[in-house]
Amino acid sequence: MPELPDLNPVIHGKLRLALLSLLAGVEEAEFIWLRAKTGSTDGNLGAQLMKLEEAGYVAVEKKFVQRKPQSNYRITDAGRDALQEYIQALKELLGAAI
Amino acid sequence: MNANAEEMELRERLDLMQRMIAEGRRSTQHWAWSFLLWGLAYYVAIAWSVFGKTWAAWPVTMIAASILTSVLAARIKRREPGRTIGRALGAVWSVMGTVLFITLMALGISGRAEIHVVIAIVGAMLAVANGISGLILRWKMQLGCAVVWLATAVAACFASDMPLAILSLAAIFFCQIVFGVYGMILESRGQKRGVIHA
Repeated sequence: MPELPDLNPVIHGKLRLALLSLLAGVEEAEFIWLRAKTGSTDGNLGAQLMKLEEAGYVAVEKKFVQRKPQSNYRITDAGRDALQEYIQALKELLGAAI
Repeated sequence: MNANAEEMELRERLDLMQRMIAEGRRSTQHWAWSFLLWGLAYYVAIAWSVFGKTWAAWPVTMIAASILTSVLAARIKRREPGRTIGRALGAVWSVMGTVLFITLMALGISGRAEIHVVIAIVGAMLAVANGISGLILRWKMQLGCAVVWLATAVAACFASDMPLAILSLAAIFFCQIVFGVYGMILESRGQKRGVIHA
């Protein structure tokens, strides 16, 4: 029986998966946009984004726009590759489950 | 966790990814208001030029609509994420608007702004912009608008004044007002979202 692939634990968390998927479809996104799309709280969102950042899957740029702080996030090449691998692994697992 | 529950969990993840990727790519519906705004601006300019009989009606209304569009667009851009597709479409529409404005101004100043020529140019340019947007977004309704504008441009070359005026007013109504309202309805429906937890 062929060995089934493991799912990347950094991506597997629901909110982190949602964040990477959202960022995969845009060039960059603001923190408040990500919060609105996921319906998450500031604290939880910040913590999950931090985990993705630590894994090198997202990059953040902090700046001031009209004197207000703004955090812009974008998916990195490593994040895109990891998401691609996760999708592949998920498909293999689902294929094996059918 | 049994095999069935595990499979359901995995399918849920796949569904979540698809929803979020689609959400990230959703773009043009956020610009529906601009179609409505410009449709109303065209009507204001037409009414003002017909009843007010002043040369200033078109340039003043168009400049006012451009300023209003820029202000509202800047506010939206602050909230919305950057997308390559959005930038490409924005470039098409802003270049089209600038070229159209300069060409029509030149026609007006030279005294050669004959109504058939003006409608042919405006119709053709709007057909190009709507056609490009419709093809990129694979949005049949916008492609339909491109066809209506192209038909108006062609009709401007052959039709007499009154049928052309009626056709132009109808094109503005369907391709700006109705299309804009339809887009805004789609946008508001798309905003009902679930909450995602870690």
